[in-house]
Amino acid sequence: MKVKMTKKERKAVLVKAWNYKWLYIMLLPVILYYVVFKYVPMYGITIAFKDYNVFKGVFGSEWCGFDVFRKIFGSKNFWLSVRNTLLLNLLTLAVSFPLTIIVSLMLNEVINVRFKKVIQSVLYLPHFISWVVVAGIASNLFSEQDGTVNMMLMSLGAKAIPFLGEEGWWIFTYVLCNVWKEIGWGTIIYLAALTSVDETLYEAAYLDGATKFQRIIYVTLPSIKSVVVTMLILQISKMMTIGLDAPLLLGNKRVMGVSEVISTYTYRLGIESAKYSDSTAIGLFQSLINIIILLAADKFAKAIGEEGII
Amino acid sequence: MIDRKLTVGKIINYILLVLIAFVCLYPFLNVLAYSVSGYNAVLSGRVTFYPIDFTMEAYKQILGKTQIWRAMSTTVQVTLIGTALSLVLTTFAAYALSQDDLPGRKIITGFILFTMYFGGGLIPTFLVVKGVGLYDTLGALFIPQSVNVFNFIVMRTFFKNLPESLSEAARIDGASYMQILVKIVLPLSLPIIATMGLFYAVGYWNTYFDALLYIQNPDKYTLQLRLRGLLFGEELNSAGNLEGVGMQVMTQSLKMATVLVSTLPILVVYPWLQKYFVKGVMVGSVKG
Repeated sequence: MKVKMTKKERKAVLVKAWNYKWLYIMLLPVILYYVVFKYVPMYGITIAFKDYNVFKGVFGSEWCGFDVFRKIFGSKNFWLSVRNTLLLNLLTLAVSFPLTIIVSLMLNEVINVRFKKVIQSVLYLPHFISWVVVAGIASNLFSEQDGTVNMMLMSLGAKAIPFLGEEGWWIFTYVLCNVWKEIGWGTIIYLAALTSVDETLYEAAYLDGATKFQRIIYVTLPSIKSVVVTMLILQISKMMTIGLDAPLLLGNKRVMGVSEVISTYTYRLGIESAKYSDSTAIGLFQSLINIIILLAADKFAKAIGEEGII
Repeated sequence: MIDRKLTVGKIINYILLVLIAFVCLYPFLNVLAYSVSGYNAVLSGRVTFYPIDFTMEAYKQILGKTQIWRAMSTTVQVTLIGTALSLVLTTFAAYALSQDDLPGRKIITGFILFTMYFGGGLIPTFLVVKGVGLYDTLGALFIPQSVNVFNFIVMRTFFKNLPESLSEAARIDGASYMQILVKIVLPLSLPIIATMGLFYAVGYWNTYFDALLYIQNPDKYTLQLRLRGLLFGEELNSAGNLEGVGMQVMTQSLKMATVLVSTLPILVVYPWLQKYFVKGVMVGSVKG
């Protein structure tokens, strides 16, 4: 009797799966894509523990334990790239995070719908521009000899500023370009959260004699607190990652001491110097740190009573 | 609405917002002004907000360059084919995995989401792309990055929120999932498809690093790669140096004209899709 049931059940499962055949067919190319381009490379990480030899390939190269990691952790350039990654990310976050919230609050106060729409369109635009173009524009504006900004400064009698050619100023320019590019885009999430703030709270505060500013501090901000916390945690969990485009395109030989971040370093090491094992080991180190930060941030969010991010 | 009257604070707020918008827009104005100014004006650094000694010379030169045209056509191809492929794959995956009763749904979803947190990294991926024979082909610019996990989540959330009654009625009438997707779900999903299409297309259009990594043959250079060469040396600088100062100054206008030409498609498409993508980002922010 029991055996019969399972047979029946098994048949039922098969029939059910057959009903879903189109869904599985739809999933097939995507699964194939993920296996080939995401999971096979994960196997390739093994070369971080091998002495990679071009002729022997990923499979044939000799294992060497943690030799590659020992070499990397002893390298000055590696730690420099870690420091620069954290430095640039932290500074960008410190400027862009509060500014994004402030601009969102400012936009939220606008009653004229058309005015708001136009301003939003303009603010979102830079998000869609490639880093090559941003770097081109930046060099036109900030070049020391003939950049527009320096031309204006000099016509006012000031000295030209090496925005792109001196390490301190380069960091300033890098942060500026990032903020310029993403600040408008970042407001979308906050504006969405702001539309759901309870209108009656404002009315109550207004009747109690709260000023506009007090209403923002005591009503608006607490209402979007959970979005703010979630966004902050998401940003912090990306601290160890900087896309390659911005530092590679804005950077130049004179500012390498601050513009060389982990991604550009793995690129130069791996592609330009063909040190596959070293580059892969750094990538693995970065991924692991990312996961640790992510898990910690998620734990923290849950501990303070917010929704997690995973 | 409690207070509709114009206060000092409100006026300051409006003025500040206009200033911020101006800061966002000014770099584009600067580029435009440079691209259509005469070269004496550019040389003396007088160009700031508006063109001086208006000329279209830079555009004539840029549009006469076969390299630019070829790069443009390469980029258009990659963008169109890549976006189509991405949309099909993402829609299929998102629709299939939005069905709550599909056996194995959780495992497959986890399998996809995991790649958001962990990956092989630069070199292992590079070796795979090389290994499957995509190196130095245009396919390397869209096949290895055809599905974006974030976009997948956004679409799946959208499909999940569609009213179920319509699909259910069609199921009872004996329609297959493919028929339901094509005939019922897709017509209801145009806003999200437009949004995803914009995100993918902009991504492909702006791709610089993948082209740098995978393309060797200069005939297959994409617009961004070509642009980078024009902006920061490699090609025009050497030519400019040979032909003296006049030529070199011309390059500054030429550079900015190229910047505008290569950004124009985005600037043209952008306003039409704007009303959609805000919604798309918001759907994505709601965790699925």
